[in-house]
Amino acid sequence: MSEHSITAAEAAKTDDAHDDERLRDDTWWYGPVAMVAFLLFWEAAVYFADIPELYLPRPSVIAITLYDLFVHKNLAYDLMLTLYRIFGGFFLAALVGIALGIAMGTSKRIHAICDIFVAAIYPVPKISLVPLLVIWLGSGNIFQIVLSALGCVFPILVNTIIGVRQCDEGLILAARDLGATRSQIQRKVVLPAAVPAIFGGLRLALGISIILIVAAEMQTAKYGLGARLQLAGQILETGQVFAILLLLAILGILLTKGQNQLDRLVSRWRTT
Amino acid sequence: MATMQFEQIAVDRVSHRWLSKTRKPTTALAQTTCDFAAGKITALVGPSGCGKSTLLLILRGLLQPSSGEVRFMYGDGSGRLQPGPKPGMATVWQSFNLLPWRTVLDNVAFGLELAGVAKDERYARAEEAIRSVELGGFERHFPAQLSGGMRQRVGLARGLVMMPDILFLDEPFGALDAQTRLYLQEQLAAVVERSGKTVILVTHSIEEAIFLSDTVLVMTARPGRVAARLDIDLPRPRGFDMQNDPRFGELFNEIYGLLRDEVRKSMLSA
Repeated sequence: MSEHSITAAEAAKTDDAHDDERLRDDTWWYGPVAMVAFLLFWEAAVYFADIPELYLPRPSVIAITLYDLFVHKNLAYDLMLTLYRIFGGFFLAALVGIALGIAMGTSKRIHAICDIFVAAIYPVPKISLVPLLVIWLGSGNIFQIVLSALGCVFPILVNTIIGVRQCDEGLILAARDLGATRSQIQRKVVLPAAVPAIFGGLRLALGISIILIVAAEMQTAKYGLGARLQLAGQILETGQVFAILLLLAILGILLTKGQNQLDRLVSRWRTT
Repeated sequence: MATMQFEQIAVDRVSHRWLSKTRKPTTALAQTTCDFAAGKITALVGPSGCGKSTLLLILRGLLQPSSGEVRFMYGDGSGRLQPGPKPGMATVWQSFNLLPWRTVLDNVAFGLELAGVAKDERYARAEEAIRSVELGGFERHFPAQLSGGMRQRVGLARGLVMMPDILFLDEPFGALDAQTRLYLQEQLAAVVERSGKTVILVTHSIEEAIFLSDTVLVMTARPGRVAARLDIDLPRPRGFDMQNDPRFGELFNEIYGLLRDEVRKSMLSA
């Protein structure tokens, strides 16, 4: 009897230990350490091989340049402008994409009407619309935001349609049984059920927005990270080119991590 | 005018046909006529695919029949019946159909929320319903954190909180393991026997039908219609040991005798 209970307790203990191991991520420091090692190797290699700064500046020089750009060249203004354009286009696309996606996912008629337009515009490389959009909208913020929104709207739209369509029929039936109206079903059943798919679309869209905005700024803008990058390249300021690339990389990391946190918060009910 | 009381659900020559994916017309129900007495528990049994769940959806008003009519009949005590408004109804589903992103509490309160009941009141009523199915303490859990039997109790609480006159049970224990099913059958029997509600139970388990109901309707294989009606004259309250009653065995044999041919037919046609 006592022998039994001991084994049972031990079994429980190993189970717990196993759970803890899965919960505690032991590998979180691998990435940062690998990055530091890479930067040290870069620093040392450039220093000892005596590579001119015009081709490849050292990481320490890049960091100092970036600091200098912020303090003396007002890079913060360009950063804010770029972020404003990225998120302006992103949120505009999210608004249109989610609303139209729900309409297309739930109404056969609206889907039949809109589908051919989606199919026609989706595969057009959005950067190829730059000349036309500049003619129509000039090269200011409106142009940047519309261009980004055009690129972002399709992944959001397509994912929303899929998310809405794969909503479990049983949930809709249960809601109708409890007296839900058509609009209550949309708001309280279909939309929440589509949230994981919509988030997948938003994740893709934000990446697209960054790419499009920086590319468009390089072509047409006076200010913004893309414009500063283009300028730095033209005057052979390699240190500044790297500094802005570094800033874009940091931006990418922060946005991805932020999205991960948001995903975890929203899909709490799935993982727990 | 005397107060009218809900007496029965009358099903009048209800048929249902639908087109399968291959565009083949299928008749799920053919000219079904039957009635369900108010305040009683009526079970629908039949071979799989006989249209018993279809009939439940039509009774509940969630599916429009191809032809025929469902009426809710009211009487004033004189024996004459006349159709009247739909009574309150709620359904418990085989696959639970709980909203996975809502907690137990918010799932149970969902129907009240849709009806615009104020937050305090709906939570108070939901908490009471949760306690009545012995799930107190699990209000903040998500469905994915619960066992099948607990999820179905949430489904039952979600229906009961609406205080329906008619409770529909669509194979409520079909997705559960045998032990959980036995336990929940006993619990359900206790809950509905006390309430005096009209209950319509769809099941493929003959034991379950006898154990829970006052009347069993046996349906034929597709196209489904009601082939026989048996009154279950076993005393209440019924406990698990009722299965040893010789009368239970007689009823089981009678229903199984009726079903056996139908099951064979449905297997041959499938």
